[in-house]
Amino acid sequence: MMSPEALAYPFLFIAIFFESFVLVTFLSKPARTARAGQSGTATPSVAVIVPCYNEGETVAKTCESLLALEYPKDKLEIILVDDGSTDNTPRAMAQFATNPQVKIIRKENGGKHTALNAGIAATTAEIVGCLDADSFVESNALRELVPCFEDEHIAAVTAAMSVHQPKGLIQHMQNAEYIFGITMRHTLASVNGLYVTPGPFSFYRHSVINELGGFRYGHQTEDMEMALRIQQAGYGIGNAPHARVYTKTPNTLSGLIKQRTRWTTGFIRNITGEYRNLVGNHRHDALGMLVLPCALIAIFSGILLFSVTLFMFFKNLIAGLEIRAGIPLSYVLVPHSSFSWFYFPVSTFLILGIATLLASFSMVIIGKRISKTPGNLTFGFLSYALLYGLIVPLWLIRATSDVVFGKHRGWR
Amino acid sequence: MSIVTRNVLIALLITVALLGTVFYAVNYLNRERVAELGSIEDQISIDTLSLDTQFSLLEAAPCDSAASSTTLTGELTDLGNRLSYAESQLGSDNPQVVQLKKQYSLLEIRDYLITKQLAAACGTKPVIVLYFYSNAGDCSECDKAGYALSYLRTTYPSLRVYSFDYNLDLGAMKTLIAVTKVKNDLPAFVVNGKYSYGFTSLSDFEKQFPKGALATSTNL
Repeated sequence: MMSPEALAYPFLFIAIFFESFVLVTFLSKPARTARAGQSGTATPSVAVIVPCYNEGETVAKTCESLLALEYPKDKLEIILVDDGSTDNTPRAMAQFATNPQVKIIRKENGGKHTALNAGIAATTAEIVGCLDADSFVESNALRELVPCFEDEHIAAVTAAMSVHQPKGLIQHMQNAEYIFGITMRHTLASVNGLYVTPGPFSFYRHSVINELGGFRYGHQTEDMEMALRIQQAGYGIGNAPHARVYTKTPNTLSGLIKQRTRWTTGFIRNITGEYRNLVGNHRHDALGMLVLPCALIAIFSGILLFSVTLFMFFKNLIAGLEIRAGIPLSYVLVPHSSFSWFYFPVSTFLILGIATLLASFSMVIIGKRISKTPGNLTFGFLSYALLYGLIVPLWLIRATSDVVFGKHRGWR
Repeated sequence: MSIVTRNVLIALLITVALLGTVFYAVNYLNRERVAELGSIEDQISIDTLSLDTQFSLLEAAPCDSAASSTTLTGELTDLGNRLSYAESQLGSDNPQVVQLKKQYSLLEIRDYLITKQLAAACGTKPVIVLYFYSNAGDCSECDKAGYALSYLRTTYPSLRVYSFDYNLDLGAMKTLIAVTKVKNDLPAFVVNGKYSYGFTSLSDFEKQFPKGALATSTNL
């Protein structure tokens, strides 16, 4: 009979292969050139849309960080869209009503994609971007990002995201994960392998949005749906690793699981639905042949490995308890094998697992360095190593089950 | 060749090289484990022969060699633990493990015989347990019995526990089974010549021991 360990090897192989691909691509010329810094003096007109639904607490700070952007004021427009908030969002927005750079739109609640479309319809700027109302940008972020659009093939550009003032293990874990994402996004962008243009500070060529149509519901992941539509149309999605944006993230486990369930169900529904043709499509090179298949395998393997590990853990626990039943605790609780290299529990599975984790850590360090993200990552590493592998399967299982049973959950 | 194809090929090479290195390193470590077991067995084999020879030489005062016999039993226990660990890592059907297990069983039988001879010559009454197990999947209570015996051996150092794989394909083993007349109903125990089969609990098992044998912990 095949051992559970043997079941894990194909997935470990794929994980190591994918991480190797990312590291090799990171060292390749296109990525090196991209992170060396874009040179460009063009300052096209830019509109940043801030869709808000009950964001009264943070929208003012978000707007202030946008107003502080180093960009010609006559070329930068900020559009605050109140998507039918029921809190003090209208009041928080009102303080910017007299600012000539700021436009305020109020509409009935219709979802984030409708708020974005309302903002896009209200501007003629060449480049339109989005900043979630719980995110803040560094003042040079737009200057770092805009030159990416000098490449005519590029229809959208993403920024380098990390967690805004992380507190507690859950947020520190997400910070390490987001910074890992900086390396991923920067590297995969160099081979046009991105399939999400995240809400915090992603920008689009207005003409392409007009050509493809506005934002859609996209199974509650309008940013992923738009990115997939851009890829499907044959355009490229770039990344500006020095354009730093900080976003607020869930600080509770239940909040995190809810958010990630939404992202994962959105991914599965988009990828197995309208954008099925991208998967395995050699016309889409890295995205079709590698990134999307690996992302799908990661969901399946995450659930499988977690289930196998849980099964083995309880099986061994029960067997261990049965064997030790009736033996005095004074003996049971003390280790009895001598401390010798002979008993070092080294196995292929363990070493490959550690190699995968170390590769992930190195990508976090690389992400921090290339984006020059400030802050200490000690807690991030600790919580990432200890918690991440245990928590991820929870939303993978929940999301897969939602998709299989056709369950739809609310946004919050 | 596109940059993606080139990087995929390089990544594949790295992955295969990494996996190959890890497999080689783990195999190397396992080979080293087996080699260490072999060298420990060689040493114990020499010690056993030395004790045997000592015993023959000191026919008039054989009890003088009792101390070294106890040391040897301790070494044998350590070897047994290591062998058991190697078996769990490499599998019970690994040819090198089987070979080492045969040598180990022979050493155990030699030690058992010497202990009996010393007891007869010196008038001591050690508690000797012969434990027959199987790891062919047909003995559900063997793990439990093995753990209980490890506990007893640690708690009462005067106990002499000899564990034998009932299914080991070894002439001396078959002879031991024939001589002791132990049935293939495992786990099986022979405690100072008294037979018992099956294992339910430590307290039930302790009843098989001679009265007072487990009362104190003495260092012979």
